[in-house]
Amino acid sequence: MTCAEGKWSGFAANMNVPFVLAFLFLMMGSMPALAAFGVLSKDDKACLECHAKKGFSKPRGGGDSVSLYVADKPFSESVHNDNGCTDCHTELDIKKHAKADNKKLGTREYSIAAVAVCRDCHKKNVKQYDDSLHAALVREGNDEAPICSDCHDPHTTRVNSATGPMDDVVCQNCHGKIFKAYASSVHGQARQKQAGKLPADQQKAPICADCHRSHEIKAAATGGRIKNACLDCHKGTLILHKVWLPNAERHFDAVSCPACHVATAKRRVDLRLYDSIANKEVTEKKGVPQFESRTRAADATGRGLDALALRSLLNEFNRDGAEGQTVLRGRLEVSSGVEAHQLVARSRAIKDCDTCHREGADVFQTVTISIARPDGRPIHHGAQKEVLTSPISVDSVRGFYAIGGTRIKLLDYLFVMALFAGIAIPAGHMTLKWLFRRYLKQLETERSSPQDDTAQH
Amino acid sequence: MERIYVHPLPVRIWHWINALSFILMILTGIQIRYIGVVNIMPFKAAVDWHNWIGFVLIANFFIWFLFYLFSDKIKVYHPELSPMKHFRDSFRQMKYYGYGIFKGDPNPHHVSVYHKFNPMQSMTYQIIMLLIVPIQFFTGILLWDVERFQASVNFFGGVRVVDTVHVLAFIFFVAFIFIHPYLASLGHTPTAHFKAMFTGYEEIEDEARH
Repeated sequence: MTCAEGKWSGFAANMNVPFVLAFLFLMMGSMPALAAFGVLSKDDKACLECHAKKGFSKPRGGGDSVSLYVADKPFSESVHNDNGCTDCHTELDIKKHAKADNKKLGTREYSIAAVAVCRDCHKKNVKQYDDSLHAALVREGNDEAPICSDCHDPHTTRVNSATGPMDDVVCQNCHGKIFKAYASSVHGQARQKQAGKLPADQQKAPICADCHRSHEIKAAATGGRIKNACLDCHKGTLILHKVWLPNAERHFDAVSCPACHVATAKRRVDLRLYDSIANKEVTEKKGVPQFESRTRAADATGRGLDALALRSLLNEFNRDGAEGQTVLRGRLEVSSGVEAHQLVARSRAIKDCDTCHREGADVFQTVTISIARPDGRPIHHGAQKEVLTSPISVDSVRGFYAIGGTRIKLLDYLFVMALFAGIAIPAGHMTLKWLFRRYLKQLETERSSPQDDTAQH
Repeated sequence: MERIYVHPLPVRIWHWINALSFILMILTGIQIRYIGVVNIMPFKAAVDWHNWIGFVLIANFFIWFLFYLFSDKIKVYHPELSPMKHFRDSFRQMKYYGYGIFKGDPNPHHVSVYHKFNPMQSMTYQIIMLLIVPIQFFTGILLWDVERFQASVNFFGGVRVVDTVHVLAFIFFVAFIFIHPYLASLGHTPTAHFKAMFTGYEEIEDEARH
């Protein structure tokens, strides 16, 4: 007999069997009757007698109506079949049902209110959602921002349905163009190949939620979350870059991954307002937007901020805090979210240094200045491309510099002058020496003559 | 004509490594900064060469620095403590190069073991070796790995400021690399000072010693 068997037989011998049976009986009595997959409970069948009728709806007045239809089979096969209708629709009073006073609520308003119901069971996910950009947009009154039921239909949802086949990905309902770009990218194509062969949780090629997370979605264009998401999967990529890319860490910091890994994208330099003391991006204060009014005031001509205007704008922001607290952090990025998702295979990524490190490179033709909104999304204002090459910007654009590509013009003139002086001074001096050669000979002859005379005497 | 030993071996080694390295640094620097205009070599190769030669230059600097630090030859760099005398002598030297040389005037500076630099050289080399070269090395190291030295880069005003200082020093060296050998050719023969930097011995004209 093994040690474990010995322990178990001792435990069984000491057990009070009637007590255990009583305990199990009580437990079963306190648990709700769990419905089997595809089998509806008696109460739910009663609800669905009406609600499963196609087109079942309720008028809202003004010709508008709210759909109250719930398909019975998908519901019976959903994870929420175990809960039953009344676990979520707690506000219903059976006696007053169909005469309820919530008839003025539309589907959207009802679903927003129902987030509180989701929270009862899905506390962690709803908390993450509350901190997300989606929830912030809902709070702002955005009618298109998603709430729980927009991504997870409560009457049909299954385990991990959000990470099922590509066609089922709910993000594409709102982000259709971006999803299309993703689907044709190296990631999307890999996912498509895996989709038919592996279960969703074993597919390694990333889908939306792998980079953007499913509930705590933040603005993709701010912070370092997306870059970190890339590096989470592509471990060792920094070492691989270091093999051929000088200052690889600096490039990782100042250049977004798609800027090189989407070879055809239109790129730009975004100069983001950054708090150098708190070490984070400057965010607009809630309810006190300053960025747009200040940039408009600084950009009097409307042609984009020039070097002087950029400096004065920065001074404006520095008035709010310590001297030099607000700085500009430059970052090379692609111009749109669609382009950011068109990632290509590594072999097709940009590796030629002179794509950026030469004068007039395309990447430096578009410059923006930006700040993060309270919800994290950036607000951009155009700047003139000369801000990257002007000596006036040495201080204001101190944190962004691409050797060759954003070199300061004034230094080029100084270089030419130095080169000219270096050649012209010796050449001029030599020329003068050559011109004076006869005069010099004559002087030498005159100098040596008296000595000769002296020697003769 | 007397020969005096003014360039000890460590100084000569330092000088020629320095000369070759500076030329290569300028060429690779031009390639890095003006890619598209100048296409001597690929950008990446230019950066790699620039970095490696930069470290050779820094190591070489310490040959010079340690030799003079632990040798009595450091006297050649001792500054003239009287500003009036220094400027008077410098002006006299300038007058010689700008005027006297054309009519055969003797060089006002007479080389000796502990006095090998004329007043203009003395001032220029002190500024170059103790200020501009260290600044160039320092900014070069910061630019070599901006992320590693992020705190220092930020302290000095950001990568753009550091690079601007590096380029200003580069511009100075571009002019220097032409003017320095030309001035070296103004000895009693055009090759006298060049030979001296190989052999260590300067030839002193008898008249000049008096």
